[in-house]
Amino acid sequence: MIKIEHLTKRYGDTLAVDDLDFEVRPGVITGFLGPNGSGKSTTMRVILGLDHPTKGRATVKGQDYASLRAPLHEVGALLDAKAVHPGRTARNHLRALAASNRIPFARVDEVLGFTGIDSVANKKVGNFSLGMSQRLGIAGALLGDPEVLLFDEPVNGLDPEGIRWIRDFFRSLANEGRTVFVSSHLMSEMAVTADQIIVIGRGKLITQGSIDSLTATAKGSVFVRASDHEKLISVLKTHGGDVSEANDEALSVSDLTSDQIGQIAFDADVVLFELTPQRASLEDVFMELTADSVEYGSSGARNER
Amino acid sequence: MNADMSLGSVIRSEWIKFRTVRSTLTGVFVMFILTIGLGALIAWATRSHWQTVSTADQVTFDPVSTSLIGIVFSQFAIGVIGSLLITSEYASGLIRTTLGAVPKRLMLVSGKLVVLIASMFVVTEVACFAAFFVGQSIFSGVVPTASLSSTSVVRAVIFAGLYLTILAVVSFSLGLIVRHSAATIGIFVTIVLILPLISLAIPESWRVHIVKFEPSELGNAMTSVVTPSGDLSASRSLLMLVIYAVVVLGAGALLFQRRDA
Repeated sequence: MIKIEHLTKRYGDTLAVDDLDFEVRPGVITGFLGPNGSGKSTTMRVILGLDHPTKGRATVKGQDYASLRAPLHEVGALLDAKAVHPGRTARNHLRALAASNRIPFARVDEVLGFTGIDSVANKKVGNFSLGMSQRLGIAGALLGDPEVLLFDEPVNGLDPEGIRWIRDFFRSLANEGRTVFVSSHLMSEMAVTADQIIVIGRGKLITQGSIDSLTATAKGSVFVRASDHEKLISVLKTHGGDVSEANDEALSVSDLTSDQIGQIAFDADVVLFELTPQRASLEDVFMELTADSVEYGSSGARNER
Repeated sequence: MNADMSLGSVIRSEWIKFRTVRSTLTGVFVMFILTIGLGALIAWATRSHWQTVSTADQVTFDPVSTSLIGIVFSQFAIGVIGSLLITSEYASGLIRTTLGAVPKRLMLVSGKLVVLIASMFVVTEVACFAAFFVGQSIFSGVVPTASLSSTSVVRAVIFAGLYLTILAVVSFSLGLIVRHSAATIGIFVTIVLILPLISLAIPESWRVHIVKFEPSELGNAMTSVVTPSGDLSASRSLLMLVIYAVVVLGAGALLFQRRDA
């Protein structure tokens, strides 16, 4: 269980995290979403006691991280897969970590096997691919068999098989009753991985809830092809519809249901060739929610998808 | 798996880290070569030119400090080892992984210090005693020699190792403050090598009051059997060097505790 209470973190003039307040519960996978630079990594660093909060606090199982008596037994974290000495072998890296928390070396071999990097255990980690480094980082997080796990952008650099593996792995951790907190800037990834979602933008909490409740709140759109687009657009607009051209031959209509559009078209003597309600994808929800808080957004970003 | 993190477990972890990177082994190897090899070279040069040395210089000749002259060069290898113990963790980002496992920062600094001091004390003492014996055997027969039967000779050799060990602590502490390998080593070199050069430009009447407090001059006094004129005594020089190290270490530990990693 992770608790963030009114957390504020300022670096010089930059406000990285602004009065953030949320809880991460055990037994489910909680996705931590936000555009790049929204404060996800800062929040995770504060949870791990690496950065000191400007205001507020972050606790793990009711305690400040620094006061945990054997941190690796309580919390496993992977913030940056490349945060290892390139000249040290994978096994020695893990042994040094294990020794600090009195974890037996036999456990090092176990996690090496579990993450599938036992064949390269005696190789220097400087030569590892990003995917292998991610697996080494996960091995390190698992060393103490912790109840709380934090992963910052864990799928970065993994191949499709690795992504599949890590998804199943998160699921099994959550099913064992552990707290799994995973950050990502990719909504599509979280849609298939997480149960609960916390969305932040510019350091502020935007929304939180289950995946289903989030998509339910999003406005959908209706894909329409008709005999006379110009006429249809004008009548839909007078009925309060928000119309845009989906492509050369079709319209995308929001703020009206497909039933309403069908009736309006019928009344205006426009023949409909196609009328397809489109459920907003989680990606759309995310873009909508964070549109105001993207730090370096390109102006055309919303139409490029 | 139900034990707490403690200073003992942190020391064990840091010892594994210390001996599993090549830079440590290379640094120790270079330290041995410079301490013993350069000491031998200069001892041999002294022997072969002994007849041309003036009588006055022959009288004040110190066979101990001359055989230990290699530490003037090997102190830079020591500086690199001390610095890398912490700055290499910043270079790779490993420090964040380390602090995730050991969030009690002063405990981490203490663990690193114990490993650094213990290992450096052993290897530098071995190197300094070896340099002493090699030097005396080269002098033997031509140049006056010293033997360990005199306590002030034993003190000079032991202090040579202590000088290097304390400099390792200074360099590590600078690394805690600066957090960057090249910058740390640059500052270290400035302190032990450039500072004495700068002081040459100071008027003589002031210089005599300043030079004796320079780290390199403290080292000279510590490794001499008879205190060179104008210097602090060997034990006072050691004390002065320890005070320097404690001040820099205190500043480094305080910053390490307060700053974001």
